Amino acid sequence: MSRVATPYEGSGRRSWDPAAPVPAPLRLHEATVVPDWVDYNGHMSESCFLLVFGDSADAFFRFIGIDEDYRAAGHSLFTVQTHLHHRHEADEGDPLALTLQVLDHDDKRVHLFHEMRHGESGTLLAAAEQMLVHVDTQAGRSSPMPADLLDHVRAVREAHAVLPVSDLVGRPLAIRHRR
Amino acid sequence: MTEPGPGTGVPFSTYDVTVPAEWVDYNGHMHDASYVSALSDANEELFSALDLSADYRAETGASFYTVEYHVHYLAECSQGDRLRASTLVIQADPKRLRLRTELVRGDGTVAATGESLYLHVDTRAGGVRPLTGARYAAVEAMRDAHAGLAERVGS
Repeated sequence: MSRVATPYEGSGRRSWDPAAPVPAPLRLHEATVVPDWVDYNGHMSESCFLLVFGDSADAFFRFIGIDEDYRAAGHSLFTVQTHLHHRHEADEGDPLALTLQVLDHDDKRVHLFHEMRHGESGTLLAAAEQMLVHVDTQAGRSSPMPADLLDHVRAVREAHAVLPVSDLVGRPLAIRHRR
Repeated sequence: MTEPGPGTGVPFSTYDVTVPAEWVDYNGHMHDASYVSALSDANEELFSALDLSADYRAETGASFYTVEYHVHYLAECSQGDRLRASTLVIQADPKRLRLRTELVRGDGTVAATGESLYLHVDTRAGGVRPLTGARYAAVEAMRDAHAGLAERVGS
């Protein structure tokens, strides 16, 4: 097995059309569970859920303008937090359909929410909340997004403002005791 | 920061790997999902030590399923870096287990922390069922041995 690659690697960024409406939510990625993703329970492992959410995030990065050239020039969006919620098992051969919602942003940070549903039944399999930070990779510190990238993130956020916010968002991880 | 090292002691710290080529992306940095692979593998060693891993499932049909995983990414890792992990049992009852795992690079930098919530599931009948007997007693003993350490390592 070689290094981790996303299905979109090398495909560059999408051209941005300021007149085009931004889909709410974004539906940029679909996948099918392959045998390599399944653990001894016969189900897709945690890390492979995150692999698939990561592939959807990569499609989002290309949607807003971040590709290999952008990263090579010294900036990137790094994940600082991920909170995964597992709702149903995914088995080998299952079709997966991903949605992505921009919950919030400022000039350095992007707050995302992903859902992964079964591609046929629509059952929610998993969700992921993520915080990303724009970084200057040479300096090794956070840095504001350039104006065009920030414009694209803002446009997505504005289009997504109409979406409901899942009750999973912002929830701390804990064993909750019934009263 | 927790000092890894005491093996099956307190905290539980048996996990020790070198970042392989298949965990890194085109940047040469460890991929987001690979941090979760490492954290999950470290927790799996804890489940194995409690006889609650693959053999337990094969024998009883019961298994711990992950319901939530919250990862804080703190530092980059590269291929060849040594990674060790220490795991604390933060909360446990017969049906639920909450672990906190710290992934530490060879130079002592904390690379990531993960909090995970597991449910004890009857995979044959379906649904959650209580863990009982000596295995639950061992989980409680580990939880009690780890009590108070979570505050020390922060959150």
